[in-house]
Amino acid sequence: MPGLPRTIDLDECIERLYRKELLAESVIEAICAKAKELLMKESNVVHIQAPVTVVGDIHGQFFDLLEIFRIGGFCPNTNYLFLGDYVDRGLFSVETITLLICLKLRYPQRVHLIRGNHESRGVTQSYGFYTECARKYGNANVWHYFTDMFDYLTLSVVINDEIFCVHGGLSPSIHSIDQIKILDRYREIPHEGPMADLVWSDPDPDRDEFSLSPRGAGYTFGAQVVRKFLEVNNMSHILRAHQLCNEGYQVLFDDRLSTVWSAPNYCYRCGNLASVLEVGDKMQRYFNIFDAAPENDVHRSEQQAQQNRDSQPTIDYFL
Amino acid sequence: MASRTPAAPPRGHASVSPETKKPQQISVGGFRISTQKLPILKADPIDEMTKKLGIQVPEMIFGDNFVCIEHPPSGWGINFNAFDALDLVDKTGQSMLQVAYSKEWQQSREKTHDGIKEVVKPFDWSYSTDYKGTLSPNARPFEETTKPIPIELLKRPDPILFFDEVVLYEDELADNGIAMLSCKIRVMPERLLLLTRFFMRLDNVLIRLRDTRVYVDFEKKEVIREYQSKECEYEKVRQMLAGTRDDIPALMRDANRLSELLPVVDKKSECVTLDS
Repeated sequence: MPGLPRTIDLDECIERLYRKELLAESVIEAICAKAKELLMKESNVVHIQAPVTVVGDIHGQFFDLLEIFRIGGFCPNTNYLFLGDYVDRGLFSVETITLLICLKLRYPQRVHLIRGNHESRGVTQSYGFYTECARKYGNANVWHYFTDMFDYLTLSVVINDEIFCVHGGLSPSIHSIDQIKILDRYREIPHEGPMADLVWSDPDPDRDEFSLSPRGAGYTFGAQVVRKFLEVNNMSHILRAHQLCNEGYQVLFDDRLSTVWSAPNYCYRCGNLASVLEVGDKMQRYFNIFDAAPENDVHRSEQQAQQNRDSQPTIDYFL
Repeated sequence: MASRTPAAPPRGHASVSPETKKPQQISVGGFRISTQKLPILKADPIDEMTKKLGIQVPEMIFGDNFVCIEHPPSGWGINFNAFDALDLVDKTGQSMLQVAYSKEWQQSREKTHDGIKEVVKPFDWSYSTDYKGTLSPNARPFEETTKPIPIELLKRPDPILFFDEVVLYEDELADNGIAMLSCKIRVMPERLLLLTRFFMRLDNVLIRLRDTRVYVDFEKKEVIREYQSKECEYEKVRQMLAGTRDDIPALMRDANRLSELLPVVDKKSECVTLDS
């Protein structure tokens, strides 16, 4: 890639990351700068063509990301669309986001990354990514490089003009995807407004319209909202992530919306399955379901130390 | 005498093979203690539970998990499970909290989406519960007592014959904090201690801890149950910690450390002595 320091070889970086090695701080800085340049050119709605394999939340579960490549095929043999929430919660957010960014830079047309609600400065300070960056690099610089880069990630993708892909869901401010295209997305995710809704909202199969969350912020969207959005935009399906499903996926609203969840045994203790959604040439959809990668066992004690709520708990004289 | 049933707990793998479904169990001094840990519920059992409870269940719902203490000679027993704990969550919305940026959010939307007024089934979405366990049918009831749990005896390094930690539910409060109900149990040759803790941190709003301790003296066949509720505004806690050199965000996640700081708002001690 032009613009990267001459010493940086993306293929070599990717090889090292597949071995779960960390890249140097200066390399992260250069990669994030380059990624910003690339992502800046992408629309808020990126149009891509099937076949593509769609991946939901990963949350720093690096071994499970490698498992996805083993199951779904490595880049660039398989095209990938990631729906966000790469960081926080898991033990290897740094390795996960570094690998994904390198793959995006190396194969910009074959790898697409959407922004999730965790790709934000605010959320990552509370849920692990900040602490992990500071611990692995001894300072918060890489956290700044990554979170500055997050501001450039796109908000949505459309596959073959038919499937609308987003991290969270729909917004009462957005009827047509043209309204997404005009949002100013190069910023921290705000607490309110259409950009917040796209990364935060959830479907409610018992409702027809938008409803307010009892938390005092955020929306859920119902069956009529989904139907209308698809009709107005002449599309057939909505594909999103954001919500944990024990089966690894969930299909709602008469097959008009799918949730795909790609973090098996979430937080190393939920025992759930995960899936990736393979969208074929003829737009056929197939959920490829998988279990936690066996390599996770090697790090069980580390996970326990962090989570301390595993199946084999640490015995202590609590009072 | 202690006898231990060999049972393989789920090792954190998503698939559950039949033999891992067996609960862990131990019998000591006439008491039988059992725990079960399984993956979070699947979609259908979640729907069923939602219907029965009348509220949306937490994101991570370990509906098959439990901790159970039984005394077969007297038929007495107490167990801790997610359903009964959630059944005590306020379902009316009367004690509903709001996230820190709620005002800001409400104001900005007033202009644009006045039409959307309906709140989805209002309920206490922080899943706060004062659950103290479920007594088995016909179990002799607890009576109020001033007798404290003998902490000194519990500080002794007696061998631990059985130990487990079981999560009943957890919710990330849509990334506004955490709500979690979990149990820890340790069984020694002469006594046991069970701690069921509800921990809730609503970022920039409130921190809440509700502990139920069950202490059993096997020899005396005496069970003491202590319930303690603590809470404090988030900002006050942050200020209390401001003087320390430790990582404050990490401390705000540490229920044990917070427990030392939060003021007690409610307390109850009960006791029951069982027949042989």
